[in-house]
Amino acid sequence: MNWPLARRRFLSLSAGAVAAGLLGRGAAVASDSESVRFGLTPVLLTSDLNLLDLLQSYLETSTGRSVELVTRRTYQEISALLISSQLDGAWICSPPFLTYQAELELLAVPVWNGKPLYRSYLIADAHRTASSINDLAGDIHAFSDPDSNSGYVATAAELARKGEKPQTFFRRIFFTYGHENVVRAVASGLAQSGSVDGYVYEVLKEMEPGLTSLTRVVRPSPWYGFPPIAGPLAAVGTKKRDQLRNALLTTHEDPKGQELLKALRLDAFADEPPSLFASVAENMALLRGLG
Amino acid sequence: MNRFRHFAAGIPLTIKVPVLVVLLMLTIGAVVSEGVLSRLVSSQERQLGDLGSAYLDGLASPLVDPILRRDPWEIFDILDQSKRVYAAVTPVETVVTNPAGIVLASSNPRDAGIGGRLPAAFPAPGGHGAKALIDEAHARAFIDRTLVVQGRQIATLHAELDISPLLAERRQVLLTLIASNAALTLGLAALGWFAVRRMVAPMKILTEHLEGAKDGAVEPIEEGLIPAGDTETGRLFRRFNRMAVAVTEREALASRLADEERLASLGRLASGMAHEINNPLGGLFNALDTLKAHGEKAYARAGAIALLDRGLRGIRDVVRTALAAYRPDRETRDLQGADIEDLRLLVRPEATRKQITLEWRNDLPPVAAVIAFPVRQIVLNLLLNACRAAPENGRVGLAAGLANGAVVIDVEDSGPGMPAFVAAFLDDATAAAPISTGLGLWVARRMAGELHGSLIADRSALGGARVRLTLPERTGALSDVA
Repeated sequence: MNWPLARRRFLSLSAGAVAAGLLGRGAAVASDSESVRFGLTPVLLTSDLNLLDLLQSYLETSTGRSVELVTRRTYQEISALLISSQLDGAWICSPPFLTYQAELELLAVPVWNGKPLYRSYLIADAHRTASSINDLAGDIHAFSDPDSNSGYVATAAELARKGEKPQTFFRRIFFTYGHENVVRAVASGLAQSGSVDGYVYEVLKEMEPGLTSLTRVVRPSPWYGFPPIAGPLAAVGTKKRDQLRNALLTTHEDPKGQELLKALRLDAFADEPPSLFASVAENMALLRGLG
Repeated sequence: MNRFRHFAAGIPLTIKVPVLVVLLMLTIGAVVSEGVLSRLVSSQERQLGDLGSAYLDGLASPLVDPILRRDPWEIFDILDQSKRVYAAVTPVETVVTNPAGIVLASSNPRDAGIGGRLPAAFPAPGGHGAKALIDEAHARAFIDRTLVVQGRQIATLHAELDISPLLAERRQVLLTLIASNAALTLGLAALGWFAVRRMVAPMKILTEHLEGAKDGAVEPIEEGLIPAGDTETGRLFRRFNRMAVAVTEREALASRLADEERLASLGRLASGMAHEINNPLGGLFNALDTLKAHGEKAYARAGAIALLDRGLRGIRDVVRTALAAYRPDRETRDLQGADIEDLRLLVRPEATRKQITLEWRNDLPPVAAVIAFPVRQIVLNLLLNACRAAPENGRVGLAAGLANGAVVIDVEDSGPGMPAFVAAFLDDATAAAPISTGLGLWVARRMAGELHGSLIADRSALGGARVRLTLPERTGALSDVA
């Protein structure tokens, strides 16, 4: 599959074609006229159009509303839309959720391999023998997004504990705004190492073994709470919010939902407390302390 | 050069013309192929330049923002995608450098990593102008473009393109040209070969007939070989046949003339011989009368018989010599010194008649390797001519000997000398005989020619003409065999 092309095409089509599809279907499916706007970040493989179709289709069936999937290049853009209530829900990463916890509600947390947890991977060229972050000093390092736990915060915090900053520990750093892009940057040699979402890396390993085989995992991080699905706190009590939350938490019970979960390599979406992200919050506090 | 010219002259036309056609076609083929190829090369280079420019132009505008933001990922992402989008120009590697020449990002980071220098394979930017720099050996072309925003240079794009499809196309065209030229050349050469063979076929027939004429007789071309109608070849062949008939008739006439000349000289000799025989006859009859009247007297009888004996012997010698001179069909033996002595006997009557003194020097060996009969004929002819030219009481000289492997016989006289036109006739082998000299000299020259010898006229120390007969001895023959 042609990843970048598909992604680009998706980015350009998502606002147009997907929305147009929804408009057509909306009249037949939706009992309520107001549609659900659902935001996506690169925490999942937004380049897989089939997956997006499944997600949209399941949410529409389950909520009885037309659903509009909204994607943006950065986490920050999605966060901004979410806290300004322009989205009814969004699959974001834990740092933005923690940052804007006062304005956001935790709708559901994905369950992967039986737990609502995932890890950050440090990856490097397949031929390197590095076994810890110390071996990566002086590299050109690719991060995913400054608001991504696995794609930045986890690595930056690990360095902070050693009294290092990414900007000085590594020769050079850059952001690719997508976990898949981190893998591509390392695989192509543009970066010598990278920080990537362990869940995305494992899924990619199945779908694009040719790409991941050019890289190897230097070390996995400790377990963190899985990137959650959050909604604006202002929507609590609305019918639409309840329908969306219910749709998410019952995904594993619905055949269409099961199909979606299978495609996402997830078990379910669960109701979890915000304390799940305590270790991420610690990391963020550490980084803030360093200024 | 001369050797080549000699060699080239020896090659038959049937080979020369097709070879020339082949050479001509090869030259034309080479010139045409060169023209086509150079047009192809320049159009390919133009096309390559256009494609390369389109490729870099297409990259330039999406790259401006990431370059200004110093975003290596975005630059890489754009370059990486362009590999697929611009498959027509098959970019191998594209590198973006900042104005200091440091790599911002490249489509192949393992070759040109972030922060490194431009790889050595790339030429210095701007060194080759707006055109693509072509490295034919590695099937690569290099092109670069400076990105300028608001009058400031922000980066340079360097592209390495794979031009092997273009080179393959060029090779294909070259092979096609060679193959079609070779086929055309061979075809035309074969056509030229057959056409020229047909054209020179009449010449070949003529040449064969002329070659045959070296042996004397010119054979006319058979009627079956002469093309019907008023064709060029037909006219040529008919003219040749008329000439062949004329030559044959001339040959017959010449041989008849030679016979007649022999008879004419025989007549002259006969009258001389008649004197020779007649002179002693009076004495012989007197001796007979003496015998009739005084035969019983021993002294008278003995004297008369001795007289008769001498007289008859003299007559016998003269008659024998004349017989020897006119018995050509039996004479194929080699020349002997005695043959020259016989001639003295034969011209003596003529010399005696005109009171001419014969100055005779015969240094020939007993046998010389030339055929005797024609030599005797020629020399007798020259002697008779000399006697005729010499005045009363004049002198005629003969000197015979061997020099440089040839029999050389000089005949000279004290006459008025040979007219210039007669001398010229002897010098020029092709000249016709002057009527006033009679046929004697003409026949003599002809016979000398048949023996591969020469007859040259000159002034004589005696005051008149001297004619030198030179006849080469047959090779391998021993001139001094006793």
